[in-house]
Amino acid sequence: MPKPAPVYILGGAQTDFARNWTKEGKHFVGPMREVVLAALEATKIEPREVESAHVGNFAAELYAHQGHLGAFFLEIDPTFRGLPTSRHEAACASGSIAILAASAEIEAGRYDLECVVGVEQMKTVDSTTGGDYLGTAAWYERESKGIDFPFPKLFGRLGDEYDKRYGLKDEHLARISAINYANAKRNPNAQTRTWFMSESQAQRESKFNQVIGGRIKVSDCSQVTDGAAALFLASEKFAAQWAKRNGKKLEDVPRILGWGHRTAPLEFDVKVEESRENPYVLPHTRQAILDAFRRAGISGVEQLQAIETHDCFTTSEYMAIDHFGITRPGESWKAIEEGLIEMGGRIPINPSGGLIGAGHPVGCTGVRQMLDCFKQVSGTAGDYQVEGAKMCAMLNIGGSGTTSCSFVVGR
Amino acid sequence: MGQDNQTVVILGANGTMGPPSGAVFAGAGFKVVMLARDMDKAHQALEGAQNAARAEAVAERITLGTYEHDLARAVGEATMVFESLAEDLALKKKFFEQVDRCRRDDCVVASGSSGLSIAAMAEGRSDSFRRHFLGVHLFNPPNVIVGAEVIPNPDTDPAVMRAVVKMMRERLGRKVIVTRDRPAFVGNRIGFKVLNEAAQLAAEHGVAFIDYVAGPQTGRAMPPLQTIDLVGWDVHRAIVDNVYAQVEDEAHSAFHLPDFMARGIAEGRLGDKTPKTGGFYRRPDKRTVEVLDPASGSYQPFEAPRRVEFVERMKQFNRVGRYADAFAVFADATGPEADIARRLILGYVSYALNRVGEVAESAEDVDTIMSFGFNWAPPCAIIDLLGARKAVELFKRHGLVVPPVVEKAAANGGKLFHGGALQYGRTFVG
Repeated sequence: MPKPAPVYILGGAQTDFARNWTKEGKHFVGPMREVVLAALEATKIEPREVESAHVGNFAAELYAHQGHLGAFFLEIDPTFRGLPTSRHEAACASGSIAILAASAEIEAGRYDLECVVGVEQMKTVDSTTGGDYLGTAAWYERESKGIDFPFPKLFGRLGDEYDKRYGLKDEHLARISAINYANAKRNPNAQTRTWFMSESQAQRESKFNQVIGGRIKVSDCSQVTDGAAALFLASEKFAAQWAKRNGKKLEDVPRILGWGHRTAPLEFDVKVEESRENPYVLPHTRQAILDAFRRAGISGVEQLQAIETHDCFTTSEYMAIDHFGITRPGESWKAIEEGLIEMGGRIPINPSGGLIGAGHPVGCTGVRQMLDCFKQVSGTAGDYQVEGAKMCAMLNIGGSGTTSCSFVVGR
Repeated sequence: MGQDNQTVVILGANGTMGPPSGAVFAGAGFKVVMLARDMDKAHQALEGAQNAARAEAVAERITLGTYEHDLARAVGEATMVFESLAEDLALKKKFFEQVDRCRRDDCVVASGSSGLSIAAMAEGRSDSFRRHFLGVHLFNPPNVIVGAEVIPNPDTDPAVMRAVVKMMRERLGRKVIVTRDRPAFVGNRIGFKVLNEAAQLAAEHGVAFIDYVAGPQTGRAMPPLQTIDLVGWDVHRAIVDNVYAQVEDEAHSAFHLPDFMARGIAEGRLGDKTPKTGGFYRRPDKRTVEVLDPASGSYQPFEAPRRVEFVERMKQFNRVGRYADAFAVFADATGPEADIARRLILGYVSYALNRVGEVAESAEDVDTIMSFGFNWAPPCAIIDLLGARKAVELFKRHGLVVPPVVEKAAANGGKLFHGGALQYGRTFVG
């Protein structure tokens, strides 16, 4: 197969994930407008240059009683009248699916400049109702209906499965939590940047750290977040003239070097049953990562300088460590104990703070992860910059390991 | 001040600011010693710190003690002393005298005062104390609000200033501005001018009406009179009386405490902290809200004020992120309601930016502290949304001072605010 046309990332913006749009009296289109206008300004792109827009969103129908999100892109600027727009959904991987759709259009030569927006407003409802809405990312009738907070329970069972196959100590999960919170303190857009967390706080069940389900405590969970992020993706033709007019070299403009996209059966029990003989607990997730590596032409994780992964719970980051190949299957704890995944370690995971520290506006997360990878490889991540980062990977997961999207971003 | 496990001693640890400040320092990796009058109060301080941090484990970095038994030893080992005592100059000076006797030569001493003279606190202290002494004004609650002011006294060592500012930015996650040592510093000087003017106007136009026309749609998390109830009428009084007595500026009369508030305070009406006697609002039970009639001092059931078109249109525009459109409506609205709203809001912007060069170093500093200390729209953002030329015209029409920075922007064109809607959008409520 011929090599597909390259997809360049020109830059973008994200909202402050500490915001509460309900308290601000905002419709989600307000912050969506702010973030796209900021992305235009940051990249010095004119609205008339945008040819197509893709919006990633999980459940605006539930949280905000509003569908048809692609059309809201037109509310941002009158120039956007007539643009082709669409909305993409794959639970927590919705943002990545929007990126994949936009990049496919560029690879196919349909358009030269695309805007990808991820947006989710979640603080419109109380936590139990929100937990029930999130339950629709699993097979609702079989796995979520009538269960309080189904997802912490599902990802608690991911930990249990590791425990069964390889052994798992909760102290390693506590360390993952503490690292993400610590990283978030350096990220000016992170939801938890002013919060307190320590390894010992994360280790114990207490009044402020209650068990949510199974082995998952509050400190193991990502956040309920209102957030939006926007990215501009471009063909080589547009990127070349954009680089020229901004005094940059085309080879310094980051690209999506590789992608992987795999889907596993919805039900967690089925996933686990089918992976019984496999060294990887979520083999389809592993395959998505390997696909991204192969398309990027890299041999493995040793060629990366940082990873943004989907730590919806500490157990999902624990899974990501061996699935990325940082350790052998079942030995993620070694990377944690050796400090490999911390800032300053060999392969920092979630310099941004991840979903636990930076926040998790569901349908926005994939776009936010790619924006953070872009910042790392372009040296613009500020206080959470990984020194010398040239190539980063991300993993974005929808459901209980159901839709897995991985990208390698670099120059 | 760059390393973990250095010790911060908090004096007045059980006050309003002590416990959450302790949580902030502990969260940044400091060892914290919380000192109070007795151990019961010290334990209350610890509980307050744990509640602020929402974490029991914050206690691992905190030790407790009393002034009588522990001050001398704790201060002798401290990298920094953070004073969080009541706003009483004599009391603070008494403690600083003790600290001066037992501190190490390189120990930084910071007063958390929200507006008393930092220079006056340093009077009579040793040279070393004065070189290491400054104001560090955190806003309440500091575990949530990250704006902070750092205020030198005339003898503060510039290297100490730099180290403290760096530590607060990098370790405490603060948005720091350096201000001059003038009453109420920058944030409270500007903020309480607006709040007190709103209170003055409430005497004539009614409480609910003022909170409606100058409400969150004008760029604030909370309506102004509700804010005074939250702050406490006594605290409000202390701040405006201090400025009124010590400062002569273009808005001197705006700092005069309204008579109905003075009467209310005498009767124990202090706002949210006195739920029975109330404030501008009173909630006799969970479902009922009553509103104060300033003239009679009695309460009536709260009724939403008659809707005014320009207010509702501003809210609609804010809701969808069209802030410039909201301010176009604000600028062009006719009728007495719009004039009152403009007097307050444009008065805020004019007064705020006219403090540049007097107490604030720059317009950017004013924006930072109003945005991150008060959660109010940054004044420069409002100028940009109106357009500088239009703003000048409006200032003149409403008899307000045109600040030099705005005059310059009107002449040269260009933006005043550093950033865009992503930075200020949160302050405009729909």
